[in-house]
Amino acid sequence: MNVQTPEALNGHASGTALHGTNEEMTSEKATDVAMQDTLLTPRFYTTDFEELDAINVETVREDWDKLIAGMVADPNKGHFKKNEDWDTVDWDGMEPALKKEFIDFLISSCTAEFSGCVLYKEMKRRGSNKDITQLFQLMARDEARHAGFINDALREAGISVNLGFLTQQKKYTYFRPKFIYYATYLSEKIGYARYITIFRHLDANPEYRFHPIFKWFEEWCNDEFSHGEAFALLMKTDPNLTQSWQNKLWIKFFLTAVYGTMWVRDHQRPVFHEALGVDVTWYGMEVFRKTSEISKQVYPFTLDIDHPRFRKGLDRLQDANVVIAEGKRQGGIMGKLKTWAGTARAGAAFFSLYTIPVVHNDVPDSPMMAPAY
Amino acid sequence: MGLLTRTRESAPCTVTISHRFEELSAHVKFNNGAKIYAGDSVLVEGAEIMAPYGEIVREDRTAIITRASGLERAWTRLTGDLEFMELCEFSFSEEVTL
Repeated sequence: MNVQTPEALNGHASGTALHGTNEEMTSEKATDVAMQDTLLTPRFYTTDFEELDAINVETVREDWDKLIAGMVADPNKGHFKKNEDWDTVDWDGMEPALKKEFIDFLISSCTAEFSGCVLYKEMKRRGSNKDITQLFQLMARDEARHAGFINDALREAGISVNLGFLTQQKKYTYFRPKFIYYATYLSEKIGYARYITIFRHLDANPEYRFHPIFKWFEEWCNDEFSHGEAFALLMKTDPNLTQSWQNKLWIKFFLTAVYGTMWVRDHQRPVFHEALGVDVTWYGMEVFRKTSEISKQVYPFTLDIDHPRFRKGLDRLQDANVVIAEGKRQGGIMGKLKTWAGTARAGAAFFSLYTIPVVHNDVPDSPMMAPAY
Repeated sequence: MGLLTRTRESAPCTVTISHRFEELSAHVKFNNGAKIYAGDSVLVEGAEIMAPYGEIVREDRTAIITRASGLERAWTRLTGDLEFMELCEFSFSEEVTL
């Protein structure tokens, strides 16, 4: 989950720079980035808690109990500890451009975990259905643990987090439960695919591992994987969620939007991927392939990522995004016109992607999968 | 709740912050059972709260809940879904360049 907040950019830098900072990325500036990106000003959501409470998992009880038992057993409890594998990081020696992108990665990831924790905890607190509240409690636990682990890596880089949002005015927006399922299911599964692809790559090419945190990606992404399993089961409890034609259109919309956004964001971080020795285009397609394969467990179709219009559409989306950013930077009337032109191009690119025919898939009775990549 | 009017109420709350290696989290719990609905705003009164590293801090505070008007609530329910991309994780911020 990544929460973007254009408002409330008043930076309260907390703490002082510890070590390893330079002019490009002081603690204050990084805290500002965090403020913009979310960590300090996450968004707050409400949903239809009565609808959530009314979920009956009896139709998937066997799979559900197995999944919950696995999460209760908490095999990763001892995993998120720094041991001798946590090498010393030479923050001072890190190339400034790489450091910037890597810190953006850490802050965004920490924010995502933190926001996930806030959302899940709220769902746990407002519900009374024992199955549902237990699931959200367990997922909140994992997200808070991940956030703590990344926070520690940030502290090593001389960056402290600020939770000043707690005493600022917070407005609560609203998502229908099904939108939460579609978005978080995909988010957890694509997160798994992203982490495991990098982990396997660095396992085979350890010379590119420029920070020890990548060594922890395997167990980390197994948590993401099981969270995704939980949302797959939730969607299974109501066949209408994945079978009605309106909902199929929504699922396609979510898949297209999520793949498109990921493509654009990754291509905006060339230095990070180069340092990892990863071709960002290869990486994107590989993550889509794995995510599509996994999503067959519950979605009745996958996007046709091998369609000639698919790659073209993604590239057009990325180009349009650059134009929009230029327009915003430029400001004035010309800037405004550029932003509009970019937005129109992004819309056209999205439409082109959205109208590519899907690849149909027969969904299995039991969605359960093991992380196999 | 009026169609156009907002109302305010105060609620006792507990803010819990865990700023530890094993858990980074922050939660606000209303102690009078107040529930938040779409479009409502919450302001926790008092100075900024932060737990020192390695600690959990719990503080009792007062929160001011501004209830959305009927129109605002309907609007938030109608448009909130469009912000769904916020729920997705992409590892990086949306900034084109850093």
